[in-house]
Amino acid sequence: MAMGLTSTAPCRGCAADRTESLVQLGVQPDKWDYFVALAGNPNTGKSTVFNALTGLRQHTGNWPGKTVARAEGTFTNEGKRVKLIDLPGTYSLQAGSTDEEVARDFLLFGRPDVTVIVVDATRLERNLNLVIQVLEITDRVVVCLNLMDEARRRGIGVDATKLAHELGVPVVPTAARSGEGIPELLVAIDKMATGQVEPRPFRIRELPPDVEGAVQELVPAVSRTFPELPNARWVALRLLNADERVLSAVRSGEIGALSEGVVQSAGAWDAEGQGVALVEGNQELLDTAATLRWQLSPTFYDSLMQGIYESAQGIAARSTVTGLRRVKFDLDRQLDRLLTSRWLGFPVMLLILAVVFWITIAGANVPSQMIATFLLDTVHPALKALGAAIGMPWWLSGFLFDGMYLATAWVVAVMLPPMAIFFPLFTLLEDFGYLPRVAFNLDKLFQKAGAHGKQALTMCMGFGCNAAGVVATRVIDSPRERLIAIITNNFSLCNGRWPTQILIASIFIGTLAPAHVAGVVAAAAVVGIALLGIMAMFVASWLLSRTVLRGEATTFSLELPPYRPPRILQTLYTSIIDRTLIVLWRAVMFALPAGAVIWLISNVSVGGTSIAEHMVGWLNPFGILIGLNGVILLAYIVAIPANEIVIPTVLMLTVLTAGIAGVGGGAGVMFELDSVSQVGDLLRAGGWTLLTGLNLMLFSLLHNPCSTTIYTIYKETGSTKWTTVATVLPLVMGFVVTFLVAQIWRL
Amino acid sequence: MVNPVLALSIFALLVVVTALVVWPRWGFAARVIRLWQMTERVRIEDALKHLYNAELSGQPGNASGVAGTLGVSPARAVRVMARVEALGFAHSTAEGLRLTDEGRAYALRILRTHRLWERYLADRTGVAAADWHDDAEIKEHRLSEEQTENLAARMGQPLYDPHGDPIPTATGELPAMPGIPLSALDPGLTATIVHLEDEPREVYDRVLAEGLAPGMSVEVVTADPSRVRFKTDGRDHELLPVVAANVTVLPKPTLEVAAVPLRNLTDLDLGESGTVVGIAPACQGAQRRRLLDLGVVPGTAIEAELVSAAGDPVAYRIRGAMIALRRHQAEWILIDPATSAAGHGHGPH
Repeated sequence: MAMGLTSTAPCRGCAADRTESLVQLGVQPDKWDYFVALAGNPNTGKSTVFNALTGLRQHTGNWPGKTVARAEGTFTNEGKRVKLIDLPGTYSLQAGSTDEEVARDFLLFGRPDVTVIVVDATRLERNLNLVIQVLEITDRVVVCLNLMDEARRRGIGVDATKLAHELGVPVVPTAARSGEGIPELLVAIDKMATGQVEPRPFRIRELPPDVEGAVQELVPAVSRTFPELPNARWVALRLLNADERVLSAVRSGEIGALSEGVVQSAGAWDAEGQGVALVEGNQELLDTAATLRWQLSPTFYDSLMQGIYESAQGIAARSTVTGLRRVKFDLDRQLDRLLTSRWLGFPVMLLILAVVFWITIAGANVPSQMIATFLLDTVHPALKALGAAIGMPWWLSGFLFDGMYLATAWVVAVMLPPMAIFFPLFTLLEDFGYLPRVAFNLDKLFQKAGAHGKQALTMCMGFGCNAAGVVATRVIDSPRERLIAIITNNFSLCNGRWPTQILIASIFIGTLAPAHVAGVVAAAAVVGIALLGIMAMFVASWLLSRTVLRGEATTFSLELPPYRPPRILQTLYTSIIDRTLIVLWRAVMFALPAGAVIWLISNVSVGGTSIAEHMVGWLNPFGILIGLNGVILLAYIVAIPANEIVIPTVLMLTVLTAGIAGVGGGAGVMFELDSVSQVGDLLRAGGWTLLTGLNLMLFSLLHNPCSTTIYTIYKETGSTKWTTVATVLPLVMGFVVTFLVAQIWRL
Repeated sequence: MVNPVLALSIFALLVVVTALVVWPRWGFAARVIRLWQMTERVRIEDALKHLYNAELSGQPGNASGVAGTLGVSPARAVRVMARVEALGFAHSTAEGLRLTDEGRAYALRILRTHRLWERYLADRTGVAAADWHDDAEIKEHRLSEEQTENLAARMGQPLYDPHGDPIPTATGELPAMPGIPLSALDPGLTATIVHLEDEPREVYDRVLAEGLAPGMSVEVVTADPSRVRFKTDGRDHELLPVVAANVTVLPKPTLEVAAVPLRNLTDLDLGESGTVVGIAPACQGAQRRRLLDLGVVPGTAIEAELVSAAGDPVAYRIRGAMIALRRHQAEWILIDPATSAAGHGHGPH
């Protein structure tokens, strides 16, 4: 039998062989003395506790094979290295959703040395439901009674000693936001890990009669097969529930290994003869459970949950006192009345969102210019000069600096500043608790389209970046509605496309109006396109929910958490690291090869003409048919990694194919011009008309997502089918719309 | 440049042709697929199912019955039956064709797949109740035994299908279904619905339209050859006896059917509260589990607290947390408004 991960395992039972199952669960066998899992309901301040314990020594990722986010970190406690794993926030452990499955499997098979359950002191009853379920699986629990500050403010008193007595495990009152109680929590964790306290966990006693009967019959069989199992009752219950993960653990004998430090049942893998005998005993147990199940009522699960909640209610009532303080003015309720009121709800929402967008656009302008000036006008010539100085052949310097570097620099300059402003602002609204209210207000609209109110939020995120919007759909916990939100996110005009829209609108639409209103007309045209995108999103959602997605499961529920003052530094840190930099990194990885391709097709010639010109020639007939041209189509094909480089590519290709002299930096070198009218003159020289401009605006809205987003969709759905739908659907819509506009225009 | 009129005409033509090909159910593609699915194996399996059902109702199977069920000509039905007999699944007797043990086991396996798939559709997907049966009719011929068992394992070895029928076990055991048709229940008697027959579809649609579901309580008011009048909690229903016969009930003399409709969450005005008495039987699968996990169990006090700016959903205070529920979900949650204030001691308000 393998030893524990470190030879100095300080806690009893730690030496049990769990390395293998831990690696399966995605835990790297680093150096630590014991490890702790953090469980809790959503909105209990679990991540604040996590941050208070680990500080910045943490990293985030996904659970292996799942799109469930996971954070882990390390800290030192009483001189020992502790690893902390954050489990997904769940209401229950019945493994009804992926989150619950992840949390349950980790507690059962990862066997953490201590499980800390974060509990909201103001909502004790609901939170105890999870505590009771965890206590059925593991004894080594410390309850972190969080949000004590909020409870005091609301005049709620929780007697931690009484609660600890009721639950049979330590209870530490904390207010993690201010750090209150964290030292005591650390002490309690250490005592539990080193076996200095003996947990006597609460176990459900009040099962419904038919369930209790079946459990009574089954428990002896479980104990006979696995004598050392500490939670035979729970295993019996799960067997009666035919929980497949537990059934297969019984079948293989794996469950026997869960008893602390016991080698006995691990015999299932030992000598062949013994193993078979054991498995036969296991099969007998499974058969008994299967027979007993027919005696249970079909609403078995209902009565089980009722029993748990009744216990929770009793415990909460015995350890809570309310009304300690007269709450004269309930700010939450007043705020909710205002923000969801029939008359003011929507105007306030539009105002807040408008302010967020305005800050983003206005604030990003200057840094974007600065980055562009630096990367494009200073670093790029310097690199070229360096290349020339060290005698680099022209094609290598062109390929590296004009192709790969330029494309990447462009993406960074356009993408980074708006995202670095927009995402933190959005996260602050989320932290404060306003965004769920937006979802609440808009849900009816989305419900009509077969979608979830939270899609309003992921749609807004999409205006920042579609890839980030797709990741954000994780907040939608209903499978069908989440898929709809993922597939339709591309209809949000992302910040890579805004510059294209504004430029083309100024050139072709603004100039239609008198000069003094040209700016306003152009801006209105862009807003019109964005609104058209929202309409397309609703139409596509409606169609999807009634056709291909009709059969996906749906479970709506939307919790409105209490308002809480946002933590500004925390938000800045996480939103820049988690959202901005990850997306930027992916975009850069895709922009590098795109830059190379753009340079190559412009500079490699076949039969005296560059590949780019050949391709433009082939694409032109189709381009003209849908009111665009070959240059635009080719630009969209090669610039699939990022919408940001479409216009520079279009300009370069126009110069190349129309043979215009004296503009730009040569074949394969993307560029932009300083004045809008210069760009307009160039495009008109390339044969563009008002129709071309209009259709380009439409096509920029309705085309396939950029490759970063496509990749993200694939990562999030894990399905080629839905990724294809998300890619092809907007493209087909774009072709149809531009075709119809072009042909009707020409009538 | 292409003439725009010509281009638009060609486009319109393409749209029409595409619609004709891919339209669900009636489209050309759907027809071809259906024909292609109607293989020899499907006919044999459907014939076995027919013989099994005939056996349950105490009549031997015959060619005209098989022809009717399969929707094929009598001549073809005779050929299918000959094949079934040649494979050793049935043998001829004086009264007609009878299943052999092997044939019965095969029929039960098909039935297992069928009912398991219906359970899967009800619990794990959003497919509408009216479509469960038709979908399972196709899937029962497609899944291998191994796939069926994997599905059963993933589903937690369910015992009943969503219509209330027991699912045959992997070893081919099928517990007897207790109960009598609703049309046979005497006036004045009460019972619980245990099963809704999902065939034929027209009849099943009628039953669904009445909002009936397994687990509901019924009381028969009058029954005559032309009409069965009965009530469920607070609602009056009227069905043709032939339709009522497709509803199986288990008589329970002590049951009380409420005279007034059960109230649900949507009956609460803002600021009012009530105590949960249960979740409507029509709410099944993942949706039911979610509500239970949120703490919507009998005895829970719920207060209507906030209405969205658009009027729907409404946020309810459930065991301390504010949970927004859509109208159709709130209708599932049955409450007793009378015992309101007493049970409501939670939260800061």
